[in-house]
Amino acid sequence: MNRTRLKRSCAVVLATGVILAGCARSDNSTTSNGSNGTAATGGSTPAGGSTASGPFIDPSTDCKNYKGTAGINGDTIKIGTIRPASGPYAIYDQVTAGVEAYFKAKNASGGIKAGDGKSYKVELVKGDDGYDPGKTLGEAKKLVEQDGVFALDGVIGTEGNLAIRQYLNDGCIPNISLATGSPEWGAADKYPWYISGLPSYATEAHAWAELLKKQKPDAKVALLYQDDDFGKSYQSSFKKAIAGTNIKVIAEQSFNPLSGGTTEAAVTSLSQSGADTFIVGIGGTPCPQTLKFMPATWKPMTFISITCQSKIALSLAGGNDVGVYSAQVTYDPSDPADKGVPAVKQFVTEGQAGGLTQSQIEGGISSAGWGFAALFAKALEGSKTVDRATVMNTLFSLKNASFGLLRDGVTVNTNGSTDPWPVEGFRMVQRTADGWKEVVPVTNYEGQSNSFAVKN
Amino acid sequence: MSLSPSARRWGRVLTWVIVFALLGALPFSLPAFRVEQIAIWMTLAMAACGLNLLTGYNGQISVGHGALYGAGAYGTAILMVKAGWPMFPAIVVAVIICFFLGIAIGLPALRIKGLYLALVTLAVAVLFPLAIEQFSSLTGGGAGLTITTPSVNRRGAVVDQKIEFGSYGGLQPDQVKYFTVLVIMVLCFVLSRNLVKSRVGRSLVAIRDNETAAAVSGVPVSQVKIITFGLSSAMAGLGGAMYAIANGQVNLTSFTIAVSISLLVAVVVGGAASIVGPAIGAVLLGAFTDFVNLPEGLSGAKPVVLGGILILLMFFAPGGLVGLYKTTMAKRAGRRSSKAGSDPDAPTALVAEPLAG
Repeated sequence: MNRTRLKRSCAVVLATGVILAGCARSDNSTTSNGSNGTAATGGSTPAGGSTASGPFIDPSTDCKNYKGTAGINGDTIKIGTIRPASGPYAIYDQVTAGVEAYFKAKNASGGIKAGDGKSYKVELVKGDDGYDPGKTLGEAKKLVEQDGVFALDGVIGTEGNLAIRQYLNDGCIPNISLATGSPEWGAADKYPWYISGLPSYATEAHAWAELLKKQKPDAKVALLYQDDDFGKSYQSSFKKAIAGTNIKVIAEQSFNPLSGGTTEAAVTSLSQSGADTFIVGIGGTPCPQTLKFMPATWKPMTFISITCQSKIALSLAGGNDVGVYSAQVTYDPSDPADKGVPAVKQFVTEGQAGGLTQSQIEGGISSAGWGFAALFAKALEGSKTVDRATVMNTLFSLKNASFGLLRDGVTVNTNGSTDPWPVEGFRMVQRTADGWKEVVPVTNYEGQSNSFAVKN
Repeated sequence: MSLSPSARRWGRVLTWVIVFALLGALPFSLPAFRVEQIAIWMTLAMAACGLNLLTGYNGQISVGHGALYGAGAYGTAILMVKAGWPMFPAIVVAVIICFFLGIAIGLPALRIKGLYLALVTLAVAVLFPLAIEQFSSLTGGGAGLTITTPSVNRRGAVVDQKIEFGSYGGLQPDQVKYFTVLVIMVLCFVLSRNLVKSRVGRSLVAIRDNETAAAVSGVPVSQVKIITFGLSSAMAGLGGAMYAIANGQVNLTSFTIAVSISLLVAVVVGGAASIVGPAIGAVLLGAFTDFVNLPEGLSGAKPVVLGGILILLMFFAPGGLVGLYKTTMAKRAGRRSSKAGSDPDAPTALVAEPLAG
């Protein structure tokens, strides 16, 4: 009896071994990098990078284990995105709805015509990180290693995108049209596989400061900022922009977006500081909530982030959104003044074809996602061969381009690491009851975005 | 069909051989990110092992071990990032700090028992992420800390390279990570087993079952309880330190009360008062969290499903899975012995020891 048991167990071990040997993974992991082991030792020997005359990215020198066409299956390209589909920042899932709708509409009408003459359909795989940067890397790895996506597009969250930056750049995987404008994305010489779809927050803060210098040169500013790289980039760039002027930040409060709390206490504290200007460096639903928390007795000149501008978000401000200032880059489908613009009309028609509801179309958040998807399409259209490096090189050499619902007058030019920002133009607007009033017409800061940022 | 003791030992040895063969083969058949997920489960298993020593074997309830796990992780990260320490000293010191943290909690715990101790440790677990946020200049606040070392990337630019295991001897970095954590986890479990089977281990259990009787028998109750708290916290801290290294970054959202509860769940599901139980529980919990995907609309219902499974488990297997196994074996042995008449080789019935409370 003992022997039978023994034999049975040996058989199990053998069988297990055979099965597992058969399942041995093909090493298509892209996590290899040049560095050795642990702390002190440095990294790989530099291979000289790219020269000014050659393409911005050259996979033969820039990449190890380069897989240029991963995710392309015949005429379908699989791309991935990560967003908070749950939690207090879940409003941003509406952005992803716009991304999805764009591809759905294009797929229905035959696909996107790429520079190689073929039409490609796009399949979007979505990950959910709940705005928690601790989760974003796991989601990105799943998209790359399990779903095998060609690129990421429209990924939301400054911290999340930071968490996955090294992984994606080491693996030479494009992260296109990030849904964040952190000045960090200006470091294209170090991280060439990242290109943002929003303007730099540093440029935005600079635009706020320019308006303040004109309208309130002695402003006393109260600053509320998210306690992460998103909010801190507003904080540091705004302070840099007002250096040497009479504008002073007299009170500051930070807010932890993952704390589960609200900005109410911070707003109350700032309202008692005697400030006549209020900068709201907050995103997600906490932003309109901040406006709602402002006491009726405090009426400062208020600036909100570009990520807070949508009708959907501002509808949560309890009416306190009227009169706030913001830097605007796109047309707003809910603004009566923009409804007749051809780009908006096209968005309304195609958006419906893509499955967006009327409230999503007017909401202003999905149109942002629509734009992020449009930038990816632009990259395909300009690429003579469709592979990861060529697509990125196309994005880093845009000339007088436009995409999505960008306002006429906003110029889109990129040039490798000297000008890695596609969008660098704003007009300044003030909120009315149902739309926006222009305060300063479109001003382009071509090539200057990195100079507005604070290097750390 | 009764088994001789030597055959039974063979059977046990073979089971372990199979288990280790499987564990050893996994990193070669799963994609890299899955291997890394399993490595993280193993760090939780280490912490669960520590918790089991304290709660399962010594009867002191702790709902705060997630905070000790977090303290180990943050301690390691802070020492490496802010003080520039190399990896091993940082881990060692972080574990020692956690040991003393455990002693610090264990001292007042001498005076409070059961539910009250659970509440105090719960408070520790809730305070931990708040404390991290408060000292954000040290801990990175909401953004967390990434353990990096400056290095030159292929484009010739200096970047902060996230600390990673290189590829050693033909193994990929994720596999090196996996095996390192596996070895340390096994060491933890072997040490725990030896502790539990020793005289000290018996005194732990004696205190759990009847503190007065233990005191009367000459067991130095206070000292044993405090040291157990310290050791248990050190093990949780070691798990946390390995998490920091394996994950390369620490965020306070990874160390909320949910972790403390997960550790308790792992211990209870696997089987308190068994050495291997917490490991089984941690692996199953990890597999459920990371490998099981509900359809898109229902993804928020995962905690509900987990809760339902736990309730069912508590009805049918209050001693956890190991307890269930032991009871089944005992029943089978009992049936065998009653069939074969008196059999000198029949094992004595093993009764699963429920979690004392």
